[in-house]
Amino acid sequence: MTSADPNAAPAPDPRSSVPPGTAEFIRRIRERVGTVVVGQDVVVERTLVALFTGGHLLLQGVPGLAKTLLVSVLAKTIDLDFRRIQFTVDLLPSDIVGSEILDQRTNEFRTHRGPIFTNLLLADEINRAAPKVQSALLEAMQERKVTIGNDTYTLPAPFLVIATQNPVEQSGTFELPEAQLDRFMLCHRLQYPSKAEEKEVLRRNAALGIRREDKGAIARTEFDVLEKEPVGSVEDLVQAMEAVQLVHVSETFTDHVVEVVDRTRNHPDLELGCSPRAGIALIKGARARALIHGRNFVIPEDLFALAEDVILHRMRLNYEALADGRTGPEVLREILEPFGAASRNGRAPARVS
Amino acid sequence: MSGPSFHRRSGGIVAALAALCLASPGEAEDDPPLPGRSVGMPERIEVILPGPELEAVPRDDRETPIVLRVVRVDPHGSRRRYELEFLGLEPGEYDLTDYLRRKDRSSTADLAPIPVSIRSVLPPGQVEPNAPSRRPTPRPWGYRALVLAVAILWLAGLAYLLFGGRRRRVSASPVAVRPRTLAERLRPLVEGASRGDLDPAGRAELERLLIGYWRRRAGLEGIDPARAVAILREHDEAGPVFRSLEDWLHRPPGPSQENIDIIELLKPYRDLPADTLEPVGSPDAAGKGA
Repeated sequence: MTSADPNAAPAPDPRSSVPPGTAEFIRRIRERVGTVVVGQDVVVERTLVALFTGGHLLLQGVPGLAKTLLVSVLAKTIDLDFRRIQFTVDLLPSDIVGSEILDQRTNEFRTHRGPIFTNLLLADEINRAAPKVQSALLEAMQERKVTIGNDTYTLPAPFLVIATQNPVEQSGTFELPEAQLDRFMLCHRLQYPSKAEEKEVLRRNAALGIRREDKGAIARTEFDVLEKEPVGSVEDLVQAMEAVQLVHVSETFTDHVVEVVDRTRNHPDLELGCSPRAGIALIKGARARALIHGRNFVIPEDLFALAEDVILHRMRLNYEALADGRTGPEVLREILEPFGAASRNGRAPARVS
Repeated sequence: MSGPSFHRRSGGIVAALAALCLASPGEAEDDPPLPGRSVGMPERIEVILPGPELEAVPRDDRETPIVLRVVRVDPHGSRRRYELEFLGLEPGEYDLTDYLRRKDRSSTADLAPIPVSIRSVLPPGQVEPNAPSRRPTPRPWGYRALVLAVAILWLAGLAYLLFGGRRRRVSASPVAVRPRTLAERLRPLVEGASRGDLDPAGRAELERLLIGYWRRRAGLEGIDPARAVAILREHDEAGPVFRSLEDWLHRPPGPSQENIDIIELLKPYRDLPADTLEPVGSPDAAGKGA
């Protein structure tokens, strides 16, 4: 038996037929991101899944895990227009979508488009903004349109929002409600790098040195060493998105997805199960993941790999489960048990009928 | 025998009856009116009495017509000066010494009487209301029993809230029916697949069961399912099975599927021993068909 890591950079399946151009495009992106971001293969994969499917991604992780760096390098790698908004409590919807400004010379209103008019938007610490700002962004995410004054504007294509949330420091934040969390196709929880990866991060950082500027010098950061030359164009991205649509989804796989979603709705520990949007996201995500792994068909491994990112933020434990100290990942693990067997503490299995 | 001397305190009127006692029954005719008040009005007097200290006899019934309280005791030469407060409940003349006793429980026979008079302000011949003819309905077992019963009911309700729901949840789970064994669940699916009439839901169930079977057999239950499946695809024994299953169940229709011998592939799972890796808490043990 050999070990296998489902999150490692995959070798193409020789039995599958993925367009060579797309496979090469994906390989180049991973390679370029790897020159700057150490480890985090999973989050790179999830970001590509979101990018190829047009879904939005919510990253949860403590500060310092290279979330911003990752999104920056991804934008530069594919030659996408990239904007970043640092969410604060005093941010206004017009700061994001734009506003009408009175032109004093012509005495007419002129539309100022906000930073949301971009391909890749990094909404940093989205839970720090007031609910009306969150709603404005999430509405734009859903409809891919914004209204400024009396005019409605379509957002550029592709349009992808990558939002971040800090799971600690909840004071002064506005937690996203379930309905708004549901708009995010994936919610990925970043982990600390392994020891070996952390050692590599430190080694690379120590080699950055300083940069002369004006009459002085400043310490160089990872952002200074980003390659400016993209490895792929928007056209490559569109081809990858088209290739995702060609990935075969068997009826058996669809049945697996329906089964998992249904289990979340009938689990005794869950107050809120998954919406149909979760099933759609699982299928879309699995297709993109299959493509990234060099397959033109999805398999249960894709479902298992994406389940946490797709399902966990869409389900809510009930009061009894919380009082018993149950956690979402624990319940999800139970749901994904192929047998639906009883958990370690002997609780009843999810009833699937 | 030396008698008490007393005077009124209330209303600022000092009613010293005898300077320092020495009063005797024969002198009663010259005595001023007895101290006292109308029914229900308290009155205070000061008396000087000999002997050990006195205290009021506790009033432990509703019949005693006088309520007496010793307000203050001060030494007075070889005697004691007492400030007494009394309140009459019934009109009449009374002797306060009847309501006093020694703290050391010695006799009070040596005390001269302290007569007081309680008057009624009502005119004579006042009609008294009849005594209530009906008494409240007696409680079956008294107040204490009632409180006890309420407490028991309250505790029973609390216990139901705390434990009743959980018990119901457990009893609602499908444990009443014996879980079907893996072999029992696999057999009809394998047979259906061999005959070629297994529907998509059955195929999905078959794949899930085989994944679960191999996860247990390969000792991969504790790890992430995605990683477990990835390992099983590379497993020496399970790898060919899962790759063939992928070709059969998930790959787009094509020539690769025609080469798969389903009967041969599933043969090892057709007649698994009944106790293979069992028991398994089947989610559909309550009777769902395969």
